[in-house]
Amino acid sequence: MSPVSVVGVSHLTAPVEIRERFAFSPTEAEEALVRLRAQSEVKEAVLLSTCNRTELYVCPGGSETVLEAAVRVLSEKAGDVVGGTSEYLYRHDGEASVRHLYRVAGGLDSLVLGEAEIQGQVRDAYELAGRNLGTPSLAGAVLHRLFQSALAAGGRIRSTTPIGEGASSVASVAVELARKIFGGLEGRQVMILGAGSTSELVVEALGRDGIRGLVVSNRTYDRARELADRLSGRAVHFDEMPFELAKTDILIASTSAPHPLVTRDGFRQAREGSQGGPLLILDLAIPRDVESEVAGEPNVFLYNVDHLHEIMDDNLLKRRSSVPEAEVIVEEYARDFFRWYGARDVVPVIRSLRGRWDDVRQAEVERLWRKLAHLSEDDRGTVEAFSKQLLNKLLHDPTKRLKQGAGNGRGAEFIDAVRYLHDLDTLENDPPDGRGLDVKEEDEGMEARGPIVEDE
Amino acid sequence: MLPLTHAFTLLFYVGSLILWFRALLSGGRGSGPTIAFGLAVAGVAAHALALAQFTTEYGQLPLTGLAPSLSTAALTIGVGLVATLGLGEGRRVGIVLVPVVILLEAVAVSLGIEPAPELLDFQGAWFAFHVSLAFVGLGGFTVAFASGLLYLVQLHELNTKRMGRLFQFTPPLATLDRLGRTGLVTGFITFTLALALGWLWTVSFRQSLDQSNPKVLWAIMCWLIFVVALGVRAGGGLKERRSALASVVGFSVIVILYLGLRLLSAHGGFFL
Repeated sequence: MSPVSVVGVSHLTAPVEIRERFAFSPTEAEEALVRLRAQSEVKEAVLLSTCNRTELYVCPGGSETVLEAAVRVLSEKAGDVVGGTSEYLYRHDGEASVRHLYRVAGGLDSLVLGEAEIQGQVRDAYELAGRNLGTPSLAGAVLHRLFQSALAAGGRIRSTTPIGEGASSVASVAVELARKIFGGLEGRQVMILGAGSTSELVVEALGRDGIRGLVVSNRTYDRARELADRLSGRAVHFDEMPFELAKTDILIASTSAPHPLVTRDGFRQAREGSQGGPLLILDLAIPRDVESEVAGEPNVFLYNVDHLHEIMDDNLLKRRSSVPEAEVIVEEYARDFFRWYGARDVVPVIRSLRGRWDDVRQAEVERLWRKLAHLSEDDRGTVEAFSKQLLNKLLHDPTKRLKQGAGNGRGAEFIDAVRYLHDLDTLENDPPDGRGLDVKEEDEGMEARGPIVEDE
Repeated sequence: MLPLTHAFTLLFYVGSLILWFRALLSGGRGSGPTIAFGLAVAGVAAHALALAQFTTEYGQLPLTGLAPSLSTAALTIGVGLVATLGLGEGRRVGIVLVPVVILLEAVAVSLGIEPAPELLDFQGAWFAFHVSLAFVGLGGFTVAFASGLLYLVQLHELNTKRMGRLFQFTPPLATLDRLGRTGLVTGFITFTLALALGWLWTVSFRQSLDQSNPKVLWAIMCWLIFVVALGVRAGGGLKERRSALASVVGFSVIVILYLGLRLLSAHGGFFL
């Protein structure tokens, strides 16, 4: 039986107008999870819903009934979709689903490779399933283990590889540049030239660091005021722009003007008499709003669209080059997970095996007491201990090999063999919750070396 | 006991330097810079202990003799690095300061950290204040040099529109400029006080200043370099860049002058 399956849509299979139909709010996600459990054989489930993906992880995996129920939950949310929801939904089972989650948590499956937000979103989804949505928890033994290790894998990928290194959007490049020039953005004056949406995005990104003042200037004053209102800034008439430029630390230009609005001469005039501190200019317009000669002015850092794209391409290249390294980490964590999962399956077999031969041992010892009735209590104790140690030694290697086999994906094969050879027809049907390590504790008592009966 | 403490000091500093370079290669990601700074702080603590042991053992401050003076100068620069604790990325000047500290301390250890065989007539509290303030002044200039060097590196990265690991590792321009200015101003004030004390002592007890003494010559030149480095900050335009450049060039001139005067000087066992 596969431990887990996943059904979902993502930026790789569906455009945004389809993805948004599948998007769940936290409350909707809670309701969907409760409904899913009530209507199906689902034991565990986690619903991950972000702007780039909606995925439903279910346990047990590989069961058609469970998967149908999961698809139904997602399809109900999306409603009528052109071509049907199945055209956009993907499904992974078993190892593929486990690796998929690790890749998602590590940012390897993200729209922007290596983005960090997904880590928090995976954590939120897991915590939502772990809330009191009925008993037992929907984030049960398998999904608890899976999501915890996915978060650990994601954390390790980010801390040991450069996958999240370097800004990867115009807004984040702008923030990074501003940070490296000014240290922080506190007390800085920002001016937007033009009322384009890209400028708005950049300002929103900058705004998180807290800027002193924001001025919007546009040929159409009303549009400047609209944007200024949205960004809690101040609109100024276009002819006031040179005056404001003198006080500006960061200029973001994105007008559709056919010729440069900031010329070198105009810039010199505007900045004459100013403090002469650093000025970061992000010229996002095509054709450019700022003459390239302005870059030669003292303390001016001028970046146009080409510069910014070059930086982003460079950073993305670096991120891409770290993917093989990240995939090795994914593989390592996936192997660990399956080792753990495999060990869960062998726990009841080992218990039965030990129980079966302990019964035999006890019966044989009883028979021995009848034959050797003259033995003292001390001697009986010694023989009893001997019999237990002998049993432990005999079962030590089979138990160890069984656990190793389970970790190597040969668990089912070994379990069948052990059940047949030892006639374990009383094998438990369901493995206990997440207690694979119990086997180790039992096994530790089975010391294979050393004398069975100690010398006097 | 003494060489062992100095050996530990060097070990910490070298460990810190290795970690600084590792942090540089990773673009300053993760905890690398913090650990490198922590090791440098441990080095400064061990260094202070080593010089305290010197004071106890010989009954005098490690301010006379070439080796003790170099070791004290190294410690002062180390303390300058520790003072950047609250500056966030500004602490990364350690990548420049730690090699300077290692070089001075290694030379001191190789010469043998022992008091000078000859006795100076200028001693006591006057002398202690004079030399300590001079070392603090030079330490300030070294911090300004480190900040200036990193400022020029970051400026180059920004102007070439690259955002590689060097860009990521190097602190912001504003932070470096602030640190450089603080180093210069602190250094200038303390160095001026040191010179004033030396001059007062000379006037009071010797009536005349021996201008041909290489120590006096070097001190006056250092002070003039301080004045120039501070002077270039005046005016608008590229004052931050000018100041960074002046700090780097000024520090280099101070070092070259020192080496030149030492080669010409007959006082082999003394600082100059």
